[in-house]
Amino acid sequence: MIGVLFRHHVRLHRVPLLPLALGLALFEWIMTFVAREPAVSSFLTSALRAAPPQFLALLNQELVATVSPQGIIGVGYTHPFTLIMMAVWAVRVPCAALAGEIGRGTMDLVAARPVSRSAQVAAALLALLAGLTVLAAAAWLGTFMGLAGGGLEGVTAWHYLPVAAAMWMLFACCGAVAILVSALAREAGTAIAWISGLLAGSYVLDYAARVWPKLTPLRPLSLFRYYEPQRLLATGLAREDVIVFAAVAAVALLLAFAVFSRRDL
Amino acid sequence: MADAPPIRTRGLAKRYGRLLALEDLSLDVEAGEVFGFLGPNGAGKTTTIRLLLGLIRPSGGEATVLGRPVRSVAAHADIGFLPGDMAFWPRLSGVETLDFLAALAGRPATLRASLLERLGLSATELARPVRTYSDGMKQKLGLVQALQCGPRLALLDEPTKGLDPLVQQAFYEIVADLKARGATIFLSSHVLSEAERLCDRVAMLRAGQLVSLGDVETLRRAEQRRVTADFGADVDPAPLAHFGALIVALPRHVELLVAQEQVPALVARLGMLPLADLVIERPTLEEAFLEHYR
Repeated sequence: MIGVLFRHHVRLHRVPLLPLALGLALFEWIMTFVAREPAVSSFLTSALRAAPPQFLALLNQELVATVSPQGIIGVGYTHPFTLIMMAVWAVRVPCAALAGEIGRGTMDLVAARPVSRSAQVAAALLALLAGLTVLAAAAWLGTFMGLAGGGLEGVTAWHYLPVAAAMWMLFACCGAVAILVSALAREAGTAIAWISGLLAGSYVLDYAARVWPKLTPLRPLSLFRYYEPQRLLATGLAREDVIVFAAVAAVALLLAFAVFSRRDL
Repeated sequence: MADAPPIRTRGLAKRYGRLLALEDLSLDVEAGEVFGFLGPNGAGKTTTIRLLLGLIRPSGGEATVLGRPVRSVAAHADIGFLPGDMAFWPRLSGVETLDFLAALAGRPATLRASLLERLGLSATELARPVRTYSDGMKQKLGLVQALQCGPRLALLDEPTKGLDPLVQQAFYEIVADLKARGATIFLSSHVLSEAERLCDRVAMLRAGQLVSLGDVETLRRAEQRRVTADFGADVDPAPLAHFGALIVALPRHVELLVAQEQVPALVARLGMLPLADLVIERPTLEEAFLEHYR
């Protein structure tokens, strides 16, 4: 039954998946060309050196990486465009799969059949992860194709595979939280509002904690704290980040299974 | 488990905050019967069906369907369900919807072709997205999805809502066929003529409470008869009030509501008067229904 439900979710959401994937691939592909332009690197270096201390603090040890061609391509993976494209899927699918079906009234048709509540949550999770895999792969493919022609010494697309993987983990974690929110809500709109607020709040907290030292102790509370492509490019995937993403996702999913199994539809 | 009735509830109750939607419902629906669940809007009919499907959890009591607890996933394999408020996935076509729901049921849609033909849904219509369907077409699609796998138990919430008379007639024939196949049908309705026509037994619900349960004939018998008498000469109608409630009391025309057991005595008394015409009407289920809700 999970397979039937999974295919159902894919069918309902495949249309937006295509432009999201194309958009991400195109954006990362363009970033490889931006990184090839010496003028861009030079401009960024000058701009960052002239930036106020708070802004430099935001980048901290990543300054050197960011102004290199490798770092500029990495910026493509933290750019709001990329984050929003990934977030669209991480919010849309979980919210539609549970709260959306309840709000529309179609949940009754599904739940009246021999389908367990946990199978419904599992199918939503599978659809979320499958779509995120396509999107992260599309982003990396854009980088790969952009770098395929060469021109940037020492920079290969393989450097960005861990970055794409980390981005996938970040949004898989966000999607798991979205599944929990969706398991609690009665309508997709409510769930979307809550999870969008949570993601935006988490992003703003991470940003604010970088530029305002008083908020620094709160930074670990943001999921975006554990996704730093520039650091990834320098030191590789950190075990601590992976553990945090896995732990948050596991807790959110366990709660979602428990809540959705017991609630009135 | 094999001997358990398809539906059994004991003290079933559902409360939403302060609102008691269903209170202490105990009933058995036997295999192969068509059972009508009647009541005005808000009486608790849909709540009962949702409880029987495990879509909501009871505040008290318990229920089994096909011998299993309502939350049992296995029990749902043999249940066909038509929701009261029919909703589909607007972008899916009719046939995609039916395929998906049959796949979820895990059983072949053996009755689909026959249902589509009888309800008048063509292949062309099925190929269109459901968002283009009229309410009547959605209801037809709802009936097909509920019954296409040949369920042992069909829970139908307001099944003829939005159907034209011809399609209603087709639906009645479908119910008769399902019953002949041994299926149990539990349908909620406030269309009393429909329940009267289809059901072996009916339960009436008012404000979440079961107020009456029995076969249609027994319910009718339990209600008062309307007696209309015309006289060839003037009579004093006042003594007739002894037999029941006088509705019209004219010297040559009298109408009364009389309990069934009073009818022979009343007829004997009327025979002593200059009776010109006498009509004793059996109450319709509608009158029995209204009697309960007045």
